[in-house]
Amino acid sequence: MFEFITPLFCLLIVAGTFAGIVFGAIPGLTATMAVAVCLPLTYPLGLENGLALLLGLYVGGISGGLVPAILLGIPGTPSSITTTFDGFPMATAGEGEKALRIGIVSSLVGGLVSLAILFLFAPTLADFAIEFSYVEKFLIIFFALTVMAALSKDLLLGIFSGMLGIFISLIGQYDINNGGNGHIRLVPDGWDYYLDTGFSLLPVLIGLFGLTAILEQAEIGVPKGHSREDLKVGSESTFSFGIFRNQIGNLMRSSCIGTFVGILPGVGGSAASLLAYSNAKSFSRHPETFGKGEPAGIVASEAGNNGLTGGALVPLLSLGIPGDSTTAILIGAFTLQGIQVGPLFIGNNPDTWSAMIVAMLIANIAMFLLMYLAIRHLALVVTVPKHILFPVILMMCVVGAYTINYGIIFDVWTLLIFGLFGWLAVKLRLEVAPFIIGFILGPSAEIYFVKSLESFGDVSIFFTKSWIACVLWLLIIASLAGSLYFSRRAKSETAGE
Amino acid sequence: MSITRRNLIVTGAAATAALAAPRIARAQALPRNVRLVIGSSSTGGDTYQNSAIVADALSEHLGINMRVDAVGASEAFRALGRDSRGTTLMMFHDQSYLQQLYGVEGSEDPFAAYTVGQTVAINPGNAYLVAKSSPYQTMEDVLAAAANGERIRVAIQPGGVSEIGFSAMVNAAKVRAPGSEANIVAVNTGDQADKNQAMWDGLADVINGSIQANEQFTQLPDDDQRAMRFVWITARPETLQQAPAEGMGNTTRDDLLRYASPQTSVTLDGSQDFTFDKEFFFLYNSEMDTAIIDQVDAALTEIYAAGAIQERQLGSFFIPNFLNFADAQAHLTAKRDTYAEVIAEIS
Amino acid sequence: MGSLTQVTIDFDTSHLVFPIIIGTVLGLLGLAILIRDRASIAAAPGYWRHIWQEMDKVRFFGTIVLTLAYFGAMVPVGNIWPNTGMGFLICSVPYVFAVGVLYLHDRRPRNLWPIALLAVIAPPLSWWLFSYVFFLALP
Repeated sequence: MFEFITPLFCLLIVAGTFAGIVFGAIPGLTATMAVAVCLPLTYPLGLENGLALLLGLYVGGISGGLVPAILLGIPGTPSSITTTFDGFPMATAGEGEKALRIGIVSSLVGGLVSLAILFLFAPTLADFAIEFSYVEKFLIIFFALTVMAALSKDLLLGIFSGMLGIFISLIGQYDINNGGNGHIRLVPDGWDYYLDTGFSLLPVLIGLFGLTAILEQAEIGVPKGHSREDLKVGSESTFSFGIFRNQIGNLMRSSCIGTFVGILPGVGGSAASLLAYSNAKSFSRHPETFGKGEPAGIVASEAGNNGLTGGALVPLLSLGIPGDSTTAILIGAFTLQGIQVGPLFIGNNPDTWSAMIVAMLIANIAMFLLMYLAIRHLALVVTVPKHILFPVILMMCVVGAYTINYGIIFDVWTLLIFGLFGWLAVKLRLEVAPFIIGFILGPSAEIYFVKSLESFGDVSIFFTKSWIACVLWLLIIASLAGSLYFSRRAKSETAGE
Repeated sequence: MSITRRNLIVTGAAATAALAAPRIARAQALPRNVRLVIGSSSTGGDTYQNSAIVADALSEHLGINMRVDAVGASEAFRALGRDSRGTTLMMFHDQSYLQQLYGVEGSEDPFAAYTVGQTVAINPGNAYLVAKSSPYQTMEDVLAAAANGERIRVAIQPGGVSEIGFSAMVNAAKVRAPGSEANIVAVNTGDQADKNQAMWDGLADVINGSIQANEQFTQLPDDDQRAMRFVWITARPETLQQAPAEGMGNTTRDDLLRYASPQTSVTLDGSQDFTFDKEFFFLYNSEMDTAIIDQVDAALTEIYAAGAIQERQLGSFFIPNFLNFADAQAHLTAKRDTYAEVIAEIS
Repeated sequence: MGSLTQVTIDFDTSHLVFPIIIGTVLGLLGLAILIRDRASIAAAPGYWRHIWQEMDKVRFFGTIVLTLAYFGAMVPVGNIWPNTGMGFLICSVPYVFAVGVLYLHDRRPRNLWPIALLAVIAPPLSWWLFSYVFFLALP
């Protein structure tokens, strides 16, 4: 039954996880790229061993993103954006190590919960996932977009920024591969040579978070960096598992949200951590601390994005449809070995199925151990003087931007454009977090919205399609009402002070 | 093959390409470092896989480094257009000219703007399916229903390989019962997941799919709402004949042949059947030194004569289909002209 | 619900539907901001003058100029040795050094050494890692 567990199998998982963490930790390199780069290696390895390597890379790559998100405020991957909201404030307050530990433990729980769900319920959940048509998918995206309101410091400016993000994401082709008509819009004359496919997400992301932060530092003259003494390793910030006592509900909820979003093909990874984050904020007794260094925010974000790993494998293994961009490449690994994926996969390949489950289990544990042991060394990143750290970050941003689409120089320019835009936006009091959320979710919102109306020809379909749609509307209304309430309460509190 | 390239990296990372001695001492027109851009941005898809097989074989045979970059169609054409030195080559399939025939914004005629080169393989998988519970069991049912005035909705991704079979259906309806072509309408969707979903949502009667991605759905029990049935496989029968006899999954080659011409007929002009093979071929910058094309011709001829590449292609369900430069040009030009006529006929 | 809620979307113009909706909402929100924040918008010239005065102009514009030069030089340099990543390697060394020196406060030679060391180690290391081990494209 378990004869596939050989020393090589385990070694490949650990090596894959390690390499994945490195990829995830470098801003601009993603889990998807790690898997793509190593795909050719799996041909001689055979199916089980090849999958061991790739799943290790997947789990490692998704998790590694928390390191730069917390320590540098630059999300290593799009799904760790929400980790920066509370992780970076903690790191600047000298609690980087604690934030890392919280993130890593949450990642482990998220990964394990989603794995358990994958193992126990994959076929059932896949049946449920196909109940989601364009209408329900649009509502899920809309629900995720309501996070913009929750994240806004100033509601009006925040929503404006988010809408601007959506608007900019629409530049270029209405993507034919997602069902669009391939026409180009919003591109100034003469720019279609560069902009016909729009701005790509990753360069925009690292431009906005990485380059903008460095420009802001340059503006104030790059004050001398943290010295080692600033890093609180003393009693006041010690991490203990007790932190999680109040977070069990949050952990489980976020892991399940992440898993569920992963199951829906096309909805995408960033929505997972966003939904988990906003959910944690609305359930919290002190939502005003979110965005200022609230551990529960890291818990939600990391449990959510690691929850994705098991979830995204559900449609892959029970429908042959990838749940996210990384699992899309996993299909390549199966076809390379002449294995079909589809509704009969689990039944036809019980050994491969159990090998995948075991590999994911080992990968999650390896991820936890590798990162947990490395924390003390990782946390020292913030002690590196800025005149050494910043040039290297800038160079790595270039590597990430250029390699993300396999060599497009305009992506490097995008980095600079959005670095400057981000600097300007902050000066104009626009808000970067809602902007990037709008930018990420804009294209899916468009496709699902327009396709819903195109297919059904009636606006009322959004309310009448199914009971799922009704439930989603309730969640959307609750989320918006919550944001409005907190925004008013925060205002009256500041007014009362 | 990929093993060699990686072994080179693992065992001799220090031995950079500049130092590595060429394995074959012959007139080398191809540069040492070649970038093979492809018209797809997916590294899990058929274009990438097929290109990687060819690039590995050429790298090993010629002792050069050939890297496959999945930059997507528009960027790939741009990169090819910028570089006439032969350091950038491109590999793509019929989409390259179909998108221009369908008038996709920003697409050029590759036969005019670039040099179309050697074909290397065929993906024979392009197929059309219906739900198992559908009243239409065969292509004959579909076309007869259209002739009877029933509206048939076909889920495709517009502007290319996915649409050409739909155009053929419309054309066949027109040939069989003029006027009935208006009853076959397109449901414009995106990738395979969207097309499947369109069927499950009841938005489409027929969907475009592939043997590889949809075969398992045809094996589901009749009462499963996800169950599907092949109605048409567009590949030429002689192409399918070369596929492994065991076919794909539980569907043997003989089963597959039942859905292809001549057993399933979608007529082109009343006498011939319409067929479509998704072929992968090289594209070159039109100002590039032709010695490079000759070198690729010679190298591929030797590689295909050796026979190992065919096994690898068949293992990934590609049908080996090497045509040298001259033959490929003639073949692809004729093919393009046929489809141009079909598209002109129905628009 | 009747005809009130019915809409017909023509596939050929469907690429404009969402941009128009979002553009309209964006315009309305912009208008609302203009009205609500008119006081602070009127005070903008003073606000920008303050930013200009406080700014470390050498480091800020130095970063932008160096980055422009770096990005601009990479492709032409890389084209001399196509597909080798040389453009990245050759341009990164001076860039890393220059940015490091730009951000350094105490520019005595003793403090320049670590930056010089970084500039000759970090770019070749990442070049080797990405072009040889991972076989990825670099300019």
